[in-house]
Amino acid sequence: MSAPTLTRRDAAASTTPAPRRRKKLRIGAYLLIALILLVFLFPLAYLLNTALKSNAEFIADPVGIVRDPQWANFLDAWNQGNFGSYILNSVLYTGVGAAIGTFIALVMAFPVSRGYIRGGKWWSILFVVVLFLPNALITQFQLLYRLSLYDNRLGYILMVGVGVGIGPLLFSGFVKSIPVELDEAAALDGVGYWRYLFSFVFPLAKPALATIFILQAVWIWNEIILATVLLADPSKFPVTVGLYAFKGTYSNQWPLLAAATFIVAAPLIIGYIFIQRYLVSGVIGAVKG
Amino acid sequence: MSQSFPFPRRGPVRLTFGIGLVVLALFGLVPAVGVLVVSFTDLRGLPYLPVNWVGIQNYLDFFSPAKWSDSANALSNTIVFAFFSTIFQIALALGIAILLNKPLRGRNFYRAVVFMPTVLGVTVTGLVFSLLFNVSGGPATSVLSWFGGESAFFGDPKIALALVIVAQIWMVLGVSVVIFLSGLQAIPEELHEAANIDGASGWQRFRFLTIPMLAPSITANVLLGIVNALQSYQLTYVLTGPNNHSTQVLSLLVYVQGFGGKSGTTLSQSQGYAASISMVQFVLVGAVSLIALWFLRRREAKL
Repeated sequence: MSAPTLTRRDAAASTTPAPRRRKKLRIGAYLLIALILLVFLFPLAYLLNTALKSNAEFIADPVGIVRDPQWANFLDAWNQGNFGSYILNSVLYTGVGAAIGTFIALVMAFPVSRGYIRGGKWWSILFVVVLFLPNALITQFQLLYRLSLYDNRLGYILMVGVGVGIGPLLFSGFVKSIPVELDEAAALDGVGYWRYLFSFVFPLAKPALATIFILQAVWIWNEIILATVLLADPSKFPVTVGLYAFKGTYSNQWPLLAAATFIVAAPLIIGYIFIQRYLVSGVIGAVKG
Repeated sequence: MSQSFPFPRRGPVRLTFGIGLVVLALFGLVPAVGVLVVSFTDLRGLPYLPVNWVGIQNYLDFFSPAKWSDSANALSNTIVFAFFSTIFQIALALGIAILLNKPLRGRNFYRAVVFMPTVLGVTVTGLVFSLLFNVSGGPATSVLSWFGGESAFFGDPKIALALVIVAQIWMVLGVSVVIFLSGLQAIPEELHEAANIDGASGWQRFRFLTIPMLAPSITANVLLGIVNALQSYQLTYVLTGPNNHSTQVLSLLVYVQGFGGKSGTTLSQSQGYAASISMVQFVLVGAVSLIALWFLRRREAKL
């Protein structure tokens, strides 16, 4: 009888100071969060604020909150910068490039992980080696030039498509979670390898493949130097190069430049809201795998 | 090869595997091996000029007195950039990850916000920071003027590299935070409860529980961070251009030597020479990651 009361009083005694401390900690935590949000969101808010100013207002008061929003800035930036075609190019390069990389990961990593291809261990080493290749800017240019694929959309897409990074490694890890018995059962039912790979494995592996696709897509979407080197015709530029060129032309008109930057950033932010879950968990998966 | 092959024919497996391998090898591996080969030649940017073997001449040039000021500058910029951006990235990411692992309201939103710059990418990040540190009047200029100071920011050779590092950390911090979060979530809750019952202070729990349990995530983060930072040049390119002496890293030197043609100190662009810089960088990345891996593994064992 006395033992439980003792422990209960003991517990009560030790927890009395805790709520106050916890409350203080919690306030501190939210203050830190506010600081973090400020650091990450203020630059974008400031970008929007600048994008809405007229040139005169920006020169008179660059930092203050916009008084007379110039929505036409976005229209001007869009028309002068030709961003429609840049964004279309980027979507094409990113979509097809990441699809090629994901396809490579699927058709190479599945048989290697299962041991359906001779020399399994060596292929696994290859998957690690592709992570540590040297900067090959020079030879990538020379290769495409010699194949007559320089300044060619297909050439650029192939170059970014093989930037598979961690994809094959990630996928060969994932394949182990698909039971081998499924292969055997399907084969017994007379399902061929291709049908098995594309209509059985593919749907099962969708989350993993989506992660691989998105990781590579983010990289391709951000690529700027390879595109500068491999493409010469401005009508083929992705949005990164296009925006950088726009900066070169309008470097003294910050409101217009900010509007252009915002035009590029807005679809990314909206798209990010949708894929955010895959992306964040994807990086977690990549590290565990 | 221990597993048997259940499907009737091996042809399809070999065909699709072969297609993948050929594309990967031709466009991924051939250029990578080609860099090594080209680094022993005097290949030029202009086509149809004769290409000669020059042995290790390009490497000798890289370390020769005539080019050493450029080479040493790029080497030191690369190392300073990689060292400081990785250190701050890891420290800040660890703090933020611990904070965002607490049961706070709306923490998924905070996580998403921290990860967002990764998606915005180099050009947007670069332009946003150019705007913030804009000399003709931006928030940074205003803040400095409150204290009676002024600065050319990215135009000032003394602090340009430091500012690029700040922008880089802002851009890549989210990835490290997410990696740490995955590590933190793997620590069983019971350990924290046990430590609480034993009367461990917050600092003690951090030092003797969180850090040792996080050791694999720290290794992954440091390694990824160093390898990325040693090779990254996209943000530097957008923020300060390829020819800025004070921020020129090795990768940018490769770009300038191979395609820029305005390096200022060299007369003509040589892609062979640029390839040798790529190889120097490759060796640097390999050596630094092996040392880092060895050091971190040893620490992991000690903890």
